Amino acid sequence: MATLSTPAAGAAAGAEVVRARLTGGKADVRGRVFQLALVGCLGLALVVLAVLLVDVITGGWEVLSQRLGDFLSGRLSSRPARAGISQGLAGSFWIAVFVVCLAFPIGIAAAIYLEEYAPRSRLTRVIDVNIRNLAGVPSVVYGILGFAVFVKALGSLTGGRTIMAAGITLAVLVLPIVIITAAEAIRAVPDSIREAGFGVGATRWEVVRGHVLPYAAPGILTGTVLALARALGEAAPLLLVGAVTGFLGSDFAIFDTNQVRERFTAMPMVIFNWAQQPRDEFRALTAAAIVVLLVVVLLANSAAILLRNRYEKKRG
Amino acid sequence: MSTIEPGIRLSDLRGDTRRLRTERVVRGVLLGGAVLSIVISALIVLSLVREAWTFITQVEWASLWTTGWFPRRGLYDVKTLLVGSILVTAIAMAVAVPVGLGAAVYLAEYASGRVRRVLKPALEILAGIPSVVLGFFALTWISPQVVQRLHGDASLFNLAAAGIGVGILTVPLVASISEDAMRSVPLALREASAGMGARKVTTTVSVVIPAAVSGLVAAFIVAVSRAIGETMVVAIAAGATGGSQFTTNVFKPGQTMTAGMAAQAAGTDAVRGQALTFQSLFFVGLLLFLITLGLNLVADRYVRRVRQKY
Amino acid sequence: MRRSLALLLPLLLLAAACGDGEDSGSAGGSDSGDEAVSGEVNITGSSTVEPISTSVAELFQEDNGDVTVNVDGPGTGDGFQLFCNGEADITDASRPIEEEEATACQQSGVEYIELKVAFDGISVLTNPANEDVSCLMFADLYALVGPESEGVDNWSDAAALAGELGSTTDLPDAGLDITAPGEESGTYDSFIELALGDIAEERVAAGAITEDQAETTRPDYQASGDDNVIIEGIEGSDTSLGWVGFAFAEEAGDQVKELEVDGGDGCVAPSADTISDGSYPLSRPLFVYVNKAKAESNAAIAAYVDFYLSDEGISSVEEVGYVALPDDQFSETTTAWEDRTTGTREGTE
Repeated sequence: MATLSTPAAGAAAGAEVVRARLTGGKADVRGRVFQLALVGCLGLALVVLAVLLVDVITGGWEVLSQRLGDFLSGRLSSRPARAGISQGLAGSFWIAVFVVCLAFPIGIAAAIYLEEYAPRSRLTRVIDVNIRNLAGVPSVVYGILGFAVFVKALGSLTGGRTIMAAGITLAVLVLPIVIITAAEAIRAVPDSIREAGFGVGATRWEVVRGHVLPYAAPGILTGTVLALARALGEAAPLLLVGAVTGFLGSDFAIFDTNQVRERFTAMPMVIFNWAQQPRDEFRALTAAAIVVLLVVVLLANSAAILLRNRYEKKRG
Repeated sequence: MSTIEPGIRLSDLRGDTRRLRTERVVRGVLLGGAVLSIVISALIVLSLVREAWTFITQVEWASLWTTGWFPRRGLYDVKTLLVGSILVTAIAMAVAVPVGLGAAVYLAEYASGRVRRVLKPALEILAGIPSVVLGFFALTWISPQVVQRLHGDASLFNLAAAGIGVGILTVPLVASISEDAMRSVPLALREASAGMGARKVTTTVSVVIPAAVSGLVAAFIVAVSRAIGETMVVAIAAGATGGSQFTTNVFKPGQTMTAGMAAQAAGTDAVRGQALTFQSLFFVGLLLFLITLGLNLVADRYVRRVRQKY
Repeated sequence: MRRSLALLLPLLLLAAACGDGEDSGSAGGSDSGDEAVSGEVNITGSSTVEPISTSVAELFQEDNGDVTVNVDGPGTGDGFQLFCNGEADITDASRPIEEEEATACQQSGVEYIELKVAFDGISVLTNPANEDVSCLMFADLYALVGPESEGVDNWSDAAALAGELGSTTDLPDAGLDITAPGEESGTYDSFIELALGDIAEERVAAGAITEDQAETTRPDYQASGDDNVIIEGIEGSDTSLGWVGFAFAEEAGDQVKELEVDGGDGCVAPSADTISDGSYPLSRPLFVYVNKAKAESNAAIAAYVDFYLSDEGISSVEEVGYVALPDDQFSETTTAWEDRTTGTREGTE
């Protein structure tokens, strides 16, 4: 007979007795093994992640700890001792600008339309299915789109194989993701808020602008940050749009808008190029560049996840 | 005799014309945004089909079944690329499905709230890793430490390492969709099973998973689609940058549809080779687009059933 | 409010970019000479010559900060395509221009100035662990990688044909993994011309292969335009075979083993000396082709080439690991540049 000193202990003991009676008193071996296997799966994924991070950080440690400043401000060079990622950072910066300025407004606008305004018609369903399909199209196909349309067809506007063409291509790539996540955030807004607005005579746009959007803002923000992180990590479209794979002469000044119509490179391409050099010094450089890119991308992802967790907790 | 003067007329209810006009303009702008997505799809199809059509109409059919994919020599053996893609995807799924599903089951059914709050974001960090990084990792770590240990005379560049890399990339996707699927299974089912005396493992395996099967299938198909579309891991780790012989040996270098496209294009259509060398890029792109489109359409049917309701 | 700002921003950026964009990349406009030049120079072509051009570009940009030099290395063949399209100002080449390419340039109105800048050898490589092979004759190379060897995946399987062609080498019984340049690469063309060419002609005369086949290798190997990938491929298999430019092979150091080549006068190992005096059978010149019209209208291009051929610039050749031209050949080059002589002296007409 188990002790009954406190109600909690008594309840726990009682539960134990009941459980033993129900399961026949045997240890649940199969269950334990199964649970361990599951933990193992999750553990494996996390171990791989850890190994990857450790491998990359140790690989790039020397470069980062000894010449961080040079590395961040240096340019592409055939001499590993002098090579740096400033042009890659500048290119990625401009891509971020294009994504923010093109994909976010258009994506959020489309999401608002689909969730607030669109009637349940055939056209709406087609648009909806279409967006979901676009989200699943491989990035290399977007690269082809970028090449055929933004490099060739609109060459006079973009200047050909330039950062503008790349930026627009990546904005297009990321657009479906922005639409889908923004739409989900808007859908989560309770109808009572909308109805309250209508009840005082507001037009639909006034309700959306004044009530729905602010309520959905954290969710929308989360989605857009995730989309931006995705855009910064994509390399295949950059390859197809013509990022420089050799030596890039330009000294990217971040606020010089002339540069958007010139040849370019970006962080993922720098990593791709260096990864293919067999020399050990370039291995170290690649690892260091990866660390820089990961810092940016993972920071963005973590910020988005934290935001979403806080938002989920608030809304309950 | 005297008509009652209505205090409110219909025109009063109609509201301020200026606000209504704003409403109409805004609505138009927003509709434009939504329609843009259709424009984009049309552009993708158009840009692919135009050059791919040239290829299809001008290619010698014999050159589509040769010893390998050597576009600059006019040898367009499509099955090299298809088999390469299938092999890489198969290996990726062999890695991603058990690990992802296992992780999902654990997070959905067994993990306490605290454990979940720590481990789920960790998985999402894995989701954020760019594919070039995984490609570098596949070449410098997975290939020497895993593949070459397993199979002594594997070359440094091989399809297996690329496949494992793609699998790692896809784990978070499988885990996330599977977990959503399982969490949307009603609690009542679990409770009923427990009430019949089933242990947790029985409940999970015999009740929850079968109930969530459409979501799990969706996860699988989405993962396959993602794996087929993955370019950079293969481009870095599988080694075939110019052309590739037909091979089914995953321990040797190989080529997939995506990496074949990446190898062709450097932002220019001035490539040396046969007349249709450059068009072959679009042909493969069209194939890839159609395959992933088909997969996504099928998966979409399944995903709708598990979308979380707020 | 936020919405409208967000919509305005891209329009502003586009306007600014479009507005200022006209000036970038066009002719510098300043006189040549001591004044700082500005403008853009786009260089493409051979991945073998790319390291030289990159080194020169880096040095050039130190003194001429307003010039933007971009260097790409898609391969000699692709480079000529871009060059004759007018898409590049300068193309590097690890072989002379071919007849088809010269015709293409002529048809699109591109006049080129051919400048020989260095010598290079082609190193035949295998894995350092491969101790059974240290010297290969031309006959062996033809038997291993020539057009008649499709499907041969073991070194000893090529012994029959090699013996028929007069080889005395003992080829081991081991797997044959070939990683070598592909069609876009000038190294591919040079290798065929130097190592396989004569034998291929004999085989055509004997009716064993066609004329077209004579200018190719076997198609079934891992081809890459990127020499770095080839080095990694050689490293990755114990009994691999491939060929890259001498400078790349030297730089790869212990990662690869350079084989001696017997071109009829005994086995010769590649080195700066043997390449320079021609005793190593697989040596070839490296070229830079300049678009004459663009050089005249874009002062930056002319300044770049001037620098390339100056003492400081041309020292990059040896620094990067290639072999400098003997004085008489170099002065031929400088004269050709000064006179802006067009047309090819080395290529097929």
